[in-house]
Amino acid sequence: MRSSLRFFAMRLAGALSAVLGASIISFVVLRAVPSDPARLILGPHADADQVRALSRSLGLAQSLPEQYWHYISAFVQGDWGYSFTAGASVRSIILSRAGATVELALISFAWAFSAAVVLALLVTYRSRPLLDRIARGVAFAGLGLPQFWLGLLLLLVFSHTLGVFPGPEGRISPSINPPASVSGLYTIDTLLALQPATFFDALWHLALPSFCLSFFSFGFLFRLLRSSLLEMGREPFLLVVRGKGMSRWAAFSRHALPNSFLPTLTASALVFADLLGGSVLVETVFDWPGLGQFVVQSIQRLDYSVVQAFILLSAVAYVVVNLVIDGLYGILDPRIRLGRAQ
Amino acid sequence: MSGALLSVEHLTKEFHTNASFGRRAEVVRALDDVSFEVRRGETFGLVGESGSGKSTLARCVLRLIEPTAGRITFDGIDLRALDAKRMRRLRRRLQFVFQDASGALDPRMNVGELLAEPLEIHGVGDRNERRRRGRETLELVGLTNEMMDRRPHEFSGGQRQRVGIARALVLRPEVVVLDEPISALDVSVQAQVLNLLRDLQRELGLTYVFIGHDLAVAEYFCDRVAVLYLGHQVESASREQLFSRPLHPYTVGLFEAAPVPDPSRRSRQRRTIVRDDADMPSPLTGCPLQPRCPVGRHRKLCATTRPPLEEHEPRHVAACHFPGALIDEHAAA
Ligand SMILES: Nc1ncnc2c1ncn2[C@@H]1O[C@H](COP(=O)(O)OP(=O)(O)OP(=O)(O)O)[C@@H](O)[C@H]1O
Ligand code: SF4
Ligand SMILES: [Mg+2]
Repeated sequence: MRSSLRFFAMRLAGALSAVLGASIISFVVLRAVPSDPARLILGPHADADQVRALSRSLGLAQSLPEQYWHYISAFVQGDWGYSFTAGASVRSIILSRAGATVELALISFAWAFSAAVVLALLVTYRSRPLLDRIARGVAFAGLGLPQFWLGLLLLLVFSHTLGVFPGPEGRISPSINPPASVSGLYTIDTLLALQPATFFDALWHLALPSFCLSFFSFGFLFRLLRSSLLEMGREPFLLVVRGKGMSRWAAFSRHALPNSFLPTLTASALVFADLLGGSVLVETVFDWPGLGQFVVQSIQRLDYSVVQAFILLSAVAYVVVNLVIDGLYGILDPRIRLGRAQ
Repeated sequence: MSGALLSVEHLTKEFHTNASFGRRAEVVRALDDVSFEVRRGETFGLVGESGSGKSTLARCVLRLIEPTAGRITFDGIDLRALDAKRMRRLRRRLQFVFQDASGALDPRMNVGELLAEPLEIHGVGDRNERRRRGRETLELVGLTNEMMDRRPHEFSGGQRQRVGIARALVLRPEVVVLDEPISALDVSVQAQVLNLLRDLQRELGLTYVFIGHDLAVAEYFCDRVAVLYLGHQVESASREQLFSRPLHPYTVGLFEAAPVPDPSRRSRQRRTIVRDDADMPSPLTGCPLQPRCPVGRHRKLCATTRPPLEEHEPRHVAACHFPGALIDEHAAA
């Protein structure tokens, strides 16, 4: 028990240094961009004195380490800076948009993950050539098709032609008031507020963008799990447990599956963390008010504070997701926990 | 013949390989009409070069793969007639030790779990009882109690093979098929494991089917021995018969090819069959060994008629038209 505690303490230390590294890099790189934020804020007609004054008040005249220290300590206290392009604090904008991205990411991931696992199990447990061919075709398409193109196609077929799903109008029908924000996820907030009609409307709006977004992740995860299950199927120890009298299903679910699940778990973490960062193209196609769109606009306008906060938060998201996966790994694969601690 | 605990009759196994890039689908006959009997308490040896079908035979006998044809009888039960469920229940009495000791163990499980699992499968005892039996069996194979919590990667090859043996024995089977249990081990450990197996056999009254490619080991360890050549059973006899007077030219060749300390015997090696000395395809008719057999190379009978597996001396069978010809020739030389 103590060895696993130490293992997690070590992982945590590693995670913190990763976040720190990401913050330093984002800070230094963005400062190195040859443009003056004070000039950008004030516009081309402001005179040099005004620019200098604003620079000073923004803290830009200080040394880099000083600026960095201020930035980090403010960040930890919840002050993520001010977005001059949006005219609001970075924190309030990111929080208001994070809900849309996180909700879309969660639903997409759930789609991708469950479809990948179910199909990979179906096609490897028994020979199912037809299903295998179809699933591999879909995975191939998911990895290859551009997402915005897929999004437009989905809109054209299911919204424009068939009319079964809403068009690119964001998270909810324009005629409906969004629920009071508790978690920022409409599906949860509507349930908390006991508004079933709004709940279904939100779900209905999630369908196409989440399907579009999950396609790629599905292809990636399905291929990985399928091939590692097939590989595991050739392991001698599976034949051995069958020889001990174990049934086919028990051998598959107790031995083949846990062993081949590990690489898929790692990949899932990366996929999910990536989805959390938001997708510019899918958000643009569906007019989804998420982070991706906002961040790209900020990059174009050299709005430092937004980009920096986003990089730092993405690093935190990656690290948190990976810590969770490490925990699951420890449960699934005792070799890791013990092997590392020794 | 009565008194056999395990009998194999006319066992044939064909593998159908799938077509892939630049390769046509083909049929590999890994076993061709193999028959033998194993009596209770004895050790039956199967020897042959790599690729002769030894592991395939073991797997077919245990029905881990389905034979193409043939009959396997264990204690009067026709194994191939059993449905999946009955077969699974019967496996308790019919265990095996794998050629690849490390691959045979799930890397995620510790020894305690690995030993309890077979018992769990057959619903033997409760948790504590299973653990107790596991510990007992671990002791039996010469490993200590404290190893119960270790995982396969923390063991040496020899220890892993012992775990594999313990895992087979924990069910207290009657027959154990040992597929090259010592080939992957260090020479220094091989003798230890062999002696362990022999002690266990005496103690637990086990019947062994022992697979190997080393004739010296077979002579030391087995009561009866069958020789396989590319899926064909060429000869089988008691140890005394086979090692004092082999009837089949291929068996003689195996002896001659084996490293012998006596230099006066080495000179004869050229005259006998070693598989890679000619990679000619086996003829479709006649004896599969004919193109490279020093006895049959120029004989018409060997080229046209496949020699049947016949009993030439009591319980000494060989598939050759001229049994004993080569060894007599050598004796005369
Ligand atoms: N699953 C399979 N598919 C196709 N061919 C196979 C398969 N398993 C075995 N074979 C072929 O059957 C023949 C016998 O293989 P087998 O593993 O039984 O040999 P072996 O005597 O155990 O050899 P070794 O001493 O190397 O273990 C080989 O030619 C092998 O290529
Ligand atoms: S039958 Fe003929 S060719 Fe075949 S092993 Fe005997 S002597 Fe040699
Ligand atoms: Mg083998």
